[in-house]
Amino acid sequence: MLLLSQMKITINDSELTVKSGITILEAAKKGGIAIPTLCYVEMVSDSSCELCMVEVKGMAEPVKACATKVQKGMEVVTDSEELKTHRKDRLERLAKTHFGDCKAPCNLTCPGQINVQGYIAHVAKGEYEEALRLVMERNPFPFSVGRVCPRFCETRCRRILVDEPVSINHLKRFVADWCMTNKVDLKLGRESNTGKKIAVIGGGPSGLTAAFYLSKKGNDVTVIEAMPKLGGMLRYGLPEYKIPRNVLDYEINAILRMGISVRLSQRWGTDFTLRDLQDQGFDAMLITIGTWADQPLEVPGGTLPKVMSARKLLKNIAEGNPVELGRRAAVVGGNNIAMEAARSLIRENVDEVTIIYPRAQTEMPANQRNIREAEKDGVQFLLMASPTQVMEGARGLDLELVRMKLGEPDKRGLRLPEAIPGSTNILRVDNVITSLGQSALAVPLTGGDLEEQLELTPKMGIKANPRTSLTNLDGIFAAGDATSGPRSVIQAVVSARRAAENIHVHVNDIAKAAGEGRFNFTRGKSFDNVDLKVFDGINVKLREKMPERPSERSTQDFDEVRLGFTETMARKEAGRCLSCGCTAFDRCDLKQQCLDHGVDPGKSGMGKKPRYKLEHSHKTLLVDRDKCIFCKRCQNSCKYDALAVSATSFDTLDNPLDISIHFNEKCVNCGKCVDNCSTGALNKKDAIVPIINEKLRQVKTTCPYCGTGCQLLLRVKGDTLMEVTADPDVGPNYGDLCVKGRFGHSFIHHGDRLSTPLVRRRKGGPLDPASWEEALDFVAGAFRCIIDEKGPDALAGLSSARCTNEENYAFQKFFRALVGTNNVDHCARY
Amino acid sequence: MSNDIAGIEDCDAMLVIGSNTTVTHPIIGLRMQKAAKNGSAIIVADPRRIELVDNARLWLRQRPGSDAALVNSMCHVILRDNLADESFIKEHTENFAPFSAAVAECTPAWAAEITGVDESAIEEAAHIFATAEKAGIFYTMGITQHTSGTDNVLALANLALITGNFGKRGAGLNPLRGQNNVQGASDMGCNQAFLPGYQRVDDDGARRRFEELWSTSLPAKPGLTATEMTDAILDDRIAGLWIMGENPVLSDPNSDHVRKALAKLEFLVVQDIFLTDTAELADVVLPAAAFAEKDGTFTNTERRVQRVRKAVSPPGEARDDLSIINLISARMHLGHHVAQPQLFSTYTNRCNNASCLTPPFPAEVFDEIGQAWPFLAGMSYERLEKGGLQWPCPTDDHPGTEILHANGFSRGKALFSPVTWKGPSELPDDAYPLVLTTGRVLYQYHTGTMTRRSELIEEADLGPYVEINPADAEKLGIADGDIIQATSRRGSISLPAQVTERVDSGVVFIPFHYREAAVNVLTNDALDPVCKIPEAKVCAVRLEKRS
Repeated sequence: MLLLSQMKITINDSELTVKSGITILEAAKKGGIAIPTLCYVEMVSDSSCELCMVEVKGMAEPVKACATKVQKGMEVVTDSEELKTHRKDRLERLAKTHFGDCKAPCNLTCPGQINVQGYIAHVAKGEYEEALRLVMERNPFPFSVGRVCPRFCETRCRRILVDEPVSINHLKRFVADWCMTNKVDLKLGRESNTGKKIAVIGGGPSGLTAAFYLSKKGNDVTVIEAMPKLGGMLRYGLPEYKIPRNVLDYEINAILRMGISVRLSQRWGTDFTLRDLQDQGFDAMLITIGTWADQPLEVPGGTLPKVMSARKLLKNIAEGNPVELGRRAAVVGGNNIAMEAARSLIRENVDEVTIIYPRAQTEMPANQRNIREAEKDGVQFLLMASPTQVMEGARGLDLELVRMKLGEPDKRGLRLPEAIPGSTNILRVDNVITSLGQSALAVPLTGGDLEEQLELTPKMGIKANPRTSLTNLDGIFAAGDATSGPRSVIQAVVSARRAAENIHVHVNDIAKAAGEGRFNFTRGKSFDNVDLKVFDGINVKLREKMPERPSERSTQDFDEVRLGFTETMARKEAGRCLSCGCTAFDRCDLKQQCLDHGVDPGKSGMGKKPRYKLEHSHKTLLVDRDKCIFCKRCQNSCKYDALAVSATSFDTLDNPLDISIHFNEKCVNCGKCVDNCSTGALNKKDAIVPIINEKLRQVKTTCPYCGTGCQLLLRVKGDTLMEVTADPDVGPNYGDLCVKGRFGHSFIHHGDRLSTPLVRRRKGGPLDPASWEEALDFVAGAFRCIIDEKGPDALAGLSSARCTNEENYAFQKFFRALVGTNNVDHCARY
Repeated sequence: MSNDIAGIEDCDAMLVIGSNTTVTHPIIGLRMQKAAKNGSAIIVADPRRIELVDNARLWLRQRPGSDAALVNSMCHVILRDNLADESFIKEHTENFAPFSAAVAECTPAWAAEITGVDESAIEEAAHIFATAEKAGIFYTMGITQHTSGTDNVLALANLALITGNFGKRGAGLNPLRGQNNVQGASDMGCNQAFLPGYQRVDDDGARRRFEELWSTSLPAKPGLTATEMTDAILDDRIAGLWIMGENPVLSDPNSDHVRKALAKLEFLVVQDIFLTDTAELADVVLPAAAFAEKDGTFTNTERRVQRVRKAVSPPGEARDDLSIINLISARMHLGHHVAQPQLFSTYTNRCNNASCLTPPFPAEVFDEIGQAWPFLAGMSYERLEKGGLQWPCPTDDHPGTEILHANGFSRGKALFSPVTWKGPSELPDDAYPLVLTTGRVLYQYHTGTMTRRSELIEEADLGPYVEINPADAEKLGIADGDIIQATSRRGSISLPAQVTERVDSGVVFIPFHYREAAVNVLTNDALDPVCKIPEAKVCAVRLEKRS
């Protein structure tokens, strides 16, 4: 039966019974139909966004759903093509002046797409454990990558336009080391078991990364490693002065704690075949064998006993095998492994180490940072030279070299080096170490039918589809250096993480999650595009210097050269971050509406230069008017009439000019306006971590302050409270909170928190940390003693209005039922 | 509260007395402001010009400690002008005649003398309140923290009774509880005279029910209140004290006295989330979990039981209070007492890991509370999952009770209690010429252990200060921002002056959150003779500019 106050309307052909007096927008919302809007606030109709336009049968023009009341029999259409076009057009106009970065350049540049700004912000707040958890969302090798990463991110850090980039990688290493030193258990959760079995061939950075993420998703993973220990190139290719073994062992153990099975000293092709693994019931296999095959030195004498590959040298050193070395060594090649080999030779007391390379130093494939470090260690460089033969001399080896010059540019403009005829000379050395390039395989695979069918790349890598990670064989995947040739650790991690996602959806037969869109507002894609006004008011503050052992000492042993940031340095360095990315990343309605309506501001246009200054003067909020779209939700949601949004005039696109967001003296810092902001124009000063990859958990609870009992939504990441908001539909507060309710909870993670029992072992002495056992025995013993000597009424208890009902009930029960006294009270009187 | 928070918007009139609501209960304050916008007539009675005065129809600036005189006089006017709800009085109350006789003398002229409020304003307030169809009374510690705290509350109850403002929406007698779970702590029997559910320990029937439930014998003699414990320690009657989540050194009047007592204890154990001033005096300090690190329930000021849910882990080895109580219980092994050393029959040590809960789990304890107190019998964690429930909620299908006394009073008829106004225990004199009153600011909470460690809050707050009227400031040569020495008979603190009309001349105000200027060093620990509440709201002080 229809009540008098009710009526029927249709929206998009579905019939709804609605209350009279409400708007079309409210009616649709109740009926589960979302009408797009950027400015709607309950009880206030002030549609400036014009997204909620709908068509009503019988009306000539579309109307605003938020400002039009329902009428009996109304027929409403919310999603016609005309409306969609209108909305798209409107969004494109709004986007044209929206000036900001959705994601920070560091985040976008990182091959791992790590939320770099996020972990820097955690460091700035002293939340090191959460910073590490955030890194490990996308990279399970923070210790290693934190030591050897080529740091793509730092090359794009906008701070370069002010002074120097933020030392991002040192911060990553700091949080990892801090957690190791402080014995932090990260408590990384594993999803429920899928029952699927996956074999990973190769336990290097790629294999362990894939194993980690597959295991995290609940799959049963077995890593099969040819060497006696896990780690691959991290253990056998990177010397200890780069990654100390205890650090690597700790890192690998942390990965294995996810619940990964391991088989060691099992070589593929010798000890097992792919077919064997299939027979053992593995649902999928991943090949991550890295690049262990060396390109030989193809000159006469290239196979003499004292000629050895750099990789073999490093492996022998890593395993502690004796290597016969003389006083002089030549290293042929200019890649990263060559640098590490040269530096290791210095540490093995070889007096003269010379790197030989046929081009200029700047053209070496090795990371320039590694070249500089080798130089610092005293490695010599013989450039524009190439070996032509190796001969056994009277004392050691005679390495014949020819001088090189750059030839004429070829069709592509490339100038290849060519030998200068007759320019040979001899370099006398005791050892020749070669590092001329590595590949997955030296010869095609044999040993099994699947091995023989497996398709390889021309460079003797495993061929895999970069999008699906699949090889040409069903259920067999490949990733990492084995597919790409030698790359950085972070690139191996990325390749393997992608493979893990692909394998997970493949074996569990689920749809692949939509890839990360390229949607991004930016204040400038390249440095040239960034308006320098953005940096007005930012003072020069040079980066913290990484403490290092001096070369004359560090070359004496294989101990780590770079010692890591101290906590003070890390906090200072993190404070240099310009926080380019938007802290409203996960809540921005403008972005969502643009995505929903296929608006790409990269094409249709976005703000290009700042029109306003970032305002820091508000006590709890940061105001960025360049992001304001003039929706006025802040003003309309404020119950204190504490802020006014205005503009002096409007441009031809109807966008406001000279926006002012003015807070008056009525503002009580309750922060509700931020929760209602449709972009990142308003920000909470303490919510500086953008939420990008893994979502927040929301926990409903009751406020711990006054007796009103406001219902809170705690937004939690890992084990850290990130932000507090309130649900507008839940009483008694219905979305309202006071300043304490929204901003008064960082005490939870304060360093002053008591974290261990304290006991005063003698009267007048200090309070010392103690175990729970000791403290509890002390308490119970003292209580018993007092009861025995003076009776139960000599004991008393003061309970708390801060504690729960259950705790208070238990407390008084303890005194009444166990002690036998009614001396129990609480603080109701204060 | 006899009524609920949502009903505030339905009040036609309200008397907000001794409550700086927009500061102490900001969201309730917001509802009052909204009610005012919709036409509700707010009468603010407060010695300070609090923010709510801006939304009020009428502001009465009574002198600190004169509340009962003001309220009695309002009752006098209502009876004199025949504005009382006679049918309500007849049907629902008793003992009216002695009450009526008592207020007969409380003329506005008499009250004006004591309170400093104009006769006409008292009459207007009485008329606004009595002629409104639904009128609610809202108060906090401004009413209760006096040696006459009990009388003040009774006087307000009388006012609600003669106007028939019980048992209906938008009315009632509504104490706004100051702490998140002060209601719950009282409900749960953390009180020297009451078992859970306000059942008296010296009521044999009640005690026997609990003896049966807990399978043990229970002491019949009421114990000592928190405020009496201090003296009992100094008299050697109490030797051991367990303080769970309290900081009496800062929160209690006459801090030095409290400190002396705690130091004298043979054994003090303090369980808290920070090393508070109180914890520093302890023999054992046990690290506890904060609200976001545990499960349980809080009961808010409108008697609504709501869930508290664990969101993050406690730091290091800290554990939730319930687990700690259970662990200590398990170690008591009292030879002379019950054989069963465990507090809960379901107790088994299922887990030795410090980070995990020690059973029984909060839900199990909550179920036992339901057995102990019928008002909560209809609640369970399962039901609370859908939202909070207001007690009484006796059965599984009971929707909870928004408004108390809607079907009459539980004792049958409500009792009028004649109240005679008595002044505060300490009045200004030549040596201490100013009246000091205390309270809160919006940004801080209680002794500040939490808020002062929340960066943005501390950033937004101004820090300690003393409010002084311009006239007094001029007399004493004090300018805004000067550092002042404030001294009472019990101690002395120094803090900056804020010269403001918010306080009347002769009165100064200091918020009590700040340990660097702890106002409870100054306040008076004289107690109300009935409920033993201390007189934190009135004492005599002297102010001097520090050279």
